[in-house]
Amino acid sequence: MATLQDVAAAVEAGKVKLIEGITQEALDSGVPAEAILNDGMIAAMGVVGAKFQANEIFVPEMLVAAKTMKKGVEILKPHLAGDSVGKNGKYIIGTVAGDLHDIGKNLVALMIESAGFEVIDLGVDVPAEKFVEAIKANPDCKVVGASALLTTTMDSLKNTVKVIIDAGCKSQVKIMVGGAPITQAFADEIGADAYTPDAGAAAVKAVELLSK
Amino acid sequence: MIVIAEKLNGSIPSCAKAIAAKDDAYLKDIAAKEAAANATFIDACASVKDGELETLKWMIDAIQAATDTPISVDSPDVNVCIEAMKYVVSKGGKPGLFNSVSGEGNKIDVAFPILASEDYKKWDVMALLCDDTGIPKTAADRIRVFDAVMAKAAQYGIADKRIHIDPLIEMLCTTDDGEGISMVLEVMRHIKETHPQVHISGAVSNISFNLPARKLVNQAFVVLAINAGMDSGVLDPLSQDLMGVIYAAEAMIGLDDFCAEYTSAYREGIFGVKKA
Repeated sequence: MATLQDVAAAVEAGKVKLIEGITQEALDSGVPAEAILNDGMIAAMGVVGAKFQANEIFVPEMLVAAKTMKKGVEILKPHLAGDSVGKNGKYIIGTVAGDLHDIGKNLVALMIESAGFEVIDLGVDVPAEKFVEAIKANPDCKVVGASALLTTTMDSLKNTVKVIIDAGCKSQVKIMVGGAPITQAFADEIGADAYTPDAGAAAVKAVELLSK
Repeated sequence: MIVIAEKLNGSIPSCAKAIAAKDDAYLKDIAAKEAAANATFIDACASVKDGELETLKWMIDAIQAATDTPISVDSPDVNVCIEAMKYVVSKGGKPGLFNSVSGEGNKIDVAFPILASEDYKKWDVMALLCDDTGIPKTAADRIRVFDAVMAKAAQYGIADKRIHIDPLIEMLCTTDDGEGISMVLEVMRHIKETHPQVHISGAVSNISFNLPARKLVNQAFVVLAINAGMDSGVLDPLSQDLMGVIYAAEAMIGLDDFCAEYTSAYREGIFGVKKA
């Protein structure tokens, strides 16, 4: 019968076709669903993120691991208490106004979800006001992520952060920023709480920000 | 293949450093090498947050000091492209490439009337297949944007042969199961069938983003894309293997009678040169 370690190993290796069977077997052998989720899957994704940051694995390998977890979670859902999926609360994410790029943003969203958040994806070309609306509509959301991929939309990112702060949302959420032209220095300059260079780092940082 | 040489772009770290340091010797050196490697256009993209137009003008000065190869004025901001194009012409430069417009906002309605005017009627223009709905996920939606671009081109009198379409080449490594590059190839084939005079272009190296040994992925991509109708591309002409693969693939689909282009490019040292 499958164990917690088998689930973790399957997620880590991206065994997308096997995960449903392995997850079901683990449930059948008496492993609690919460343990499978937290100590099996989320823990495995932590390892995946770390390996990616250490250049041991590549983006598609990280992507398939996250997709594997997502499939396994579907098996777990009926066995989980209502709010166990997304135990870290909600995470609002979007690409800023004027910018249409979504591949990197989607990858971050997937990794954030794998770290135990319920992701609310506002999509691309998101006006700053829409971020504020979403934050206010979700009082249990503690972290927001905004992305800009062009040098020409860096100002839009700056504005997004400013509008979120001016709307008085800073007492509720921490703001993370990212995207190809973004740097730590720029994030500091515009008043964001965190910058991460890649999706693996973003997932780690999001959890870290919860305890700040 | 119409080669739009990609190395003078502020989003490339080494080039960004040269731009920040106002190191025009670096730009001149790259521009001369790209021209010698059979570049059709030398792309110039400032990719700076502030002072984009001034930076682009400075880049144009450096390129023109090194070569008379036409320049591709590259910015997501059409007004910057327009001013840069005017600057190239004011400095006596050859007609180049306006890079780029897209279905977003009023970009086309701003750019096409100027491109249709007497002074700029020999310039080519790159159009990206995205619009206000974003980067379309399906071939049908990208073709819808293409049709809208072509309707505007007809309206303003921009000839098909002046138009390069970037169907938006996205990284291979995050494509869905069983998808690969089939969607973008479908868009290319459609353009080729309906508008054979329109050039099919795109940023080749996007395909290999986030993968190891990117050069191999780029080479495999150009072979498949050329077979689907690609005849223009933003790429690195200093990559000898890539250039050799392009010439070879074009000969294989019957675009190079008796391999004359292939053999002469080899003789010019564009590819196949043994490293000392």
